[in-house]
Amino acid sequence: MRVMVDQDLCGTSGQCVLTLPGTFRQREPDGVAEVCVATVPHALHAAVRLAASQCPVAAIRVIESDAGDGEPASADTAPSPAEAERHAAKDQHNLG
Amino acid sequence: MDVQETTAACRDAFAELASPACIHDPYPFMRWLREHDPVHRAASGLFLLSRHADIYWALKATGDAFRGPAPGELARYFSRAATSPSLNLLASTLAMKDPPTHTRLRRLISRDFTMGQIDNLRPSIARIVAARLDGITPALERGEPVDLHREFALALPMLVFAELFGMPQDDMFELAAGIGAILEGLGPHASDPQLAAADVASARVRAYFGDLIQRKRTDPRRDIVSMLVGAHDDDADTLSDAELISMLWGMLLGGFVTTAASIDHAVLAMLAYPEQRHWLQGDAVGVKAFVEEVLRCDAPVMFSSIPRIAQRDIELGGVVIPKNADVRVLIASGNRDPDAFADPDRFDPARFYGTSPGMSTDGKIMLSFGHGIHFCLGAQLARVQLAESLPRIQARFPTLAFAGQPTRDPSAFLRTFRALPVRLHAQGS
Repeated sequence: MRVMVDQDLCGTSGQCVLTLPGTFRQREPDGVAEVCVATVPHALHAAVRLAASQCPVAAIRVIESDAGDGEPASADTAPSPAEAERHAAKDQHNLG
Repeated sequence: MDVQETTAACRDAFAELASPACIHDPYPFMRWLREHDPVHRAASGLFLLSRHADIYWALKATGDAFRGPAPGELARYFSRAATSPSLNLLASTLAMKDPPTHTRLRRLISRDFTMGQIDNLRPSIARIVAARLDGITPALERGEPVDLHREFALALPMLVFAELFGMPQDDMFELAAGIGAILEGLGPHASDPQLAAADVASARVRAYFGDLIQRKRTDPRRDIVSMLVGAHDDDADTLSDAELISMLWGMLLGGFVTTAASIDHAVLAMLAYPEQRHWLQGDAVGVKAFVEEVLRCDAPVMFSSIPRIAQRDIELGGVVIPKNADVRVLIASGNRDPDAFADPDRFDPARFYGTSPGMSTDGKIMLSFGHGIHFCLGAQLARVQLAESLPRIQARFPTLAFAGQPTRDPSAFLRTFRALPVRLHAQGS
């Protein structure tokens, strides 16, 4: 499973961040939500669907993939190179 | 209760909500509405939705099937729009804007209301809570009654706002005194004197914020006003001074009368259902469940204060809401709808135990913060204030009891208090 936030739609309520702080975060400086995982582990599938249904502006899209669910190495769920780079940069930033 | 059971039809639910019976307890009437007239058309032409599913739908459809009044059409919905400073300010608030303007303005302000930012405020909120409780402890320990509404519930959000806005506390207390009048004056059936009183208070708030903006421009600090002034000065297209003042005025209106009422209702729940106090003595998950149930049981804003204008004819429950109709949602009723929350009049924090904030274990949304694009900006700020307050009140004053009848504001629209007298039981816990 993958999950995306439509950042044009996001209403910055932060509900998803409250629900699943490890999966969503609010970007600086405008509070728009973003996803901080490439794929959603099995254990969180139900929670992510709930977060999507609870989003006040329905900005969260859940992409249920047929195979390779929860397998970070799986080709069809891997983030694009640009996305991976962006997350790597953020992770570094978070560590620093 | 009998009155509503025997009423065959209701001419104007807004007038009924203003009746003394409803001020005392509006929920029997709300049940009647849900069961008999869930898409109510008042004599004035306003619609009022009272079922959870309909309210939820209308809130989600805001920005699309419903929009705020177009700027040129304000007078159609507010006859005194041209001359009233309050209505003028209201017209420029976020709540009255639609995308894309709404999105742009909301994002400017969101940066100070992210979950991270609100979490950063936790220590200072905890400090204010502790100081206010310290302040009332001697009187309570002497066996004297204390007005918990004035001394704590209302003072806490005011002090939090003073810090957020970078304002002296005394200035905040002074401004805040006029907020109730403004809110009443903006009600859909406000009288001329009510609107006039609102306008006097609004003019004062506007003048104060005008000065404050100038002060923050020359001497910026780490507060919301300085930040917004900075956003404006970086890009003059982004936020005009008038918009900025409206935004601050809107935050003041939305921010603390509501928070105060929820603290009042939480204390009321602690006193009315002592068997439920254990939720406040354990972990944060239990506290959260208690807080959400307080918010569900008594929505401080009972119905939506801003017009949602139907963009086309909309059929709902067999009733046609015509294009251009002003539709309001009775949030307090949706929260008590048995189709969403089983046994809805029972105070039961277990509904929200271990769920994400605002969602019940059955996956239903608690409506007090709204939903959709106008979802309350300050929701998390209010939740943190409640979560930091209630366990401390419970721990400090386990023998807290009523010292008289709580007094409600006589409002059809806000479920708020004037006084909540409490004292400590003489016999120890």
